[in-house]
Amino acid sequence: MSDVAFYDFVRGPFLKFALFVFFVGIAYRFFRVIFLGMPPDYAKPKGSPPFMALKKIIIKPTMGWTFNEIFSRRAINFIGGFLFHLGFLGLTFFVPAHALLWKEITGIPFPTLPNIVSDVLAYAALGSLIALTIHRALNPVLKLLTGKDEYFANLLIALIIFTGLLATRWAGGGSYIWLVSLHLFLANLLIIYIPFSRLSHFVYYFLSVGFMGWNAGKRGVSF
Amino acid sequence: MAVVFSKERVGHEEVEKFYQFCKNSINTEVASYLEACVRCGICAEACLFYMGENVSGRIDPTLTPAYKADLLREIYKENYTLLGRLKKLFGFGLKIEPEDLKEQVRLAFYTCTNCDRCTKACPMGIDTPKLVSIVRGALTYAGLTPKDLADATNMSVEKGSPLGVDTQTFLQRIEFISEEYEVEIPVDKKPSEYLYILSSIELMKFPASVASAAKVLNRAEVNWTVSSLAHEATNFGVFAQSKEVTKEMLRRIVEGARELGIRYIIAPECGHAYQSVRFIAPNVFPEEWTFEVLNIVEFIDKMIKEGKLKINKKVLKERATLHDSCQIGRRGGVLREPRRIMNMVSEDFRDSVLIPEHNICCGGGGGVLVIGDADYYRQKAFISKMTLFDKAKAKTVVCYCANCMLALTKSSQELKRDYRFVSIVELVAEATGEE
Ligand code: SF4
Ligand code: SF4
Repeated sequence: MSDVAFYDFVRGPFLKFALFVFFVGIAYRFFRVIFLGMPPDYAKPKGSPPFMALKKIIIKPTMGWTFNEIFSRRAINFIGGFLFHLGFLGLTFFVPAHALLWKEITGIPFPTLPNIVSDVLAYAALGSLIALTIHRALNPVLKLLTGKDEYFANLLIALIIFTGLLATRWAGGGSYIWLVSLHLFLANLLIIYIPFSRLSHFVYYFLSVGFMGWNAGKRGVSF
Repeated sequence: MAVVFSKERVGHEEVEKFYQFCKNSINTEVASYLEACVRCGICAEACLFYMGENVSGRIDPTLTPAYKADLLREIYKENYTLLGRLKKLFGFGLKIEPEDLKEQVRLAFYTCTNCDRCTKACPMGIDTPKLVSIVRGALTYAGLTPKDLADATNMSVEKGSPLGVDTQTFLQRIEFISEEYEVEIPVDKKPSEYLYILSSIELMKFPASVASAAKVLNRAEVNWTVSSLAHEATNFGVFAQSKEVTKEMLRRIVEGARELGIRYIIAPECGHAYQSVRFIAPNVFPEEWTFEVLNIVEFIDKMIKEGKLKINKKVLKERATLHDSCQIGRRGGVLREPRRIMNMVSEDFRDSVLIPEHNICCGGGGGVLVIGDADYYRQKAFISKMTLFDKAKAKTVVCYCANCMLALTKSSQELKRDYRFVSIVELVAEATGEE
């Protein structure tokens, strides 16, 4: 296969296929849990459960930061996790090349980040991902909790960010198209992998944090 | 007539029962928590058992909250997820050995007080206490409740209280308290608006607390009574997670309260008792449960606000801090009330936490206190608790749960510390007395 044909394939049909698997998979996982159902609750709430559910969904990720002693012991998780999510999401949607692609697929124009910002995000995401992975491998608690899933996902994401950087910043010229194609190929793998792995936590976030907030509202606590 | 069991031998029948119970406990909420965990381990740093070990220089990763739900998670996966079901189909399913259940007993019954602190720290909002409760329920269903807890639970069904207080003992004790502390305590007064249900821990171990509550109720001039039928607020069914026992204990309260025409139930200084009458009872008796439930601390705060109770003096001179009962506070929403009261009755009150929901559990909640085999963990947990007392530079600690007081006193003596634990209701009784 020629380089251009491969490029067209990963950017065209393969990407479509990956997105299809992603949406079907995520929808399946989300609704499968929704359809399990809930028993009724007749206890009178002390506060407002729906309001708290919404509030927690918006602010929950910052709640852990208020526990000073936890934060200081786990600064690497909090800061690394924050930087990684910021970088990963920022890069996925708002890097000029990506924004263009999303516009092609959805028809909606995406705002783009200046190059300098996307560079910072990419290094931040890659750096924190490496730090988090090392931490995972060394910390006794994390060692116990971690499975192959986490390492595979981290490796895949690191490779994607790395090939992306390589393509746009370091290597140019003749290998450019191969690098971009590899980058796209790996990204497609990731998109397919998400519904099969714990990377799908982003959909469950709304459910679990929603429930947590709902319960906080029911009990009349504000935190 | 035992209702919950504590089998010595664990075989495959127990494993099967455990498995089925877990499988049948899955609903949207539970599945969301099981799915959402990102294995970040942050919850470990929030758990007083893990922290206590850590402070003493030992890291025990199995005390991580997320790990306490892992067997349940595996059972969930192989029954409700596509990949899990495929794995099981091809013979790669879970193999649970009887030994594993013993480990589950340690994780669910000895090293979790259902305190809810991990939920607040977890970035995914995972309610580990809810998951641990399911594991507890499954163990109880399989007949594997820890011996001490099983005995106390059976005792409460048989005699009416985990400490063996039956109606006759209750009445004698009330008479004694009312004479000893010179306070009027109406029994079975009909009709009454308020029913004060006490816990046998207070009745037997902290009688001054009961007398103080009675004084406060009298001073607020509400129409109240205690009941000879609904005389026990503790509900060990909640600890053992036995639906049967929970219901039986609540049935006595419903019947006692209905007979006296009660409108408000006042729950005592007891954490899980408040949970059971405030949040569980309406679901066990959706039709019959027509009462409003207030914790005694909530009641006092309300009476002060309405001008029916007047604090005349600051009775606590020395530096004091507050210990929150997790089930009344973090899980019950009564956190601002005790602080308002503390500021009124104490000259030098220093909170040990900036955000009340951050407070640390006593280490003896969730029935851990009565389980002898859990003593080691309870003491370790107390070390985490102590760090907060010391941070506030307080030797006097005010509590609003008798079970907390008992656990704290015990651990404090065992570790040779000189903290003094006081009931908030006692302080209020003193402070509302003559000037
Ligand atoms: S903090 Fe929450 S998401 Fe992280 S490991 Fe613990 S339970 Fe899982
Ligand atoms: S509820 Fe409390 S005791 Fe139980 S795991 Fe969470 S922090 Fe630890």
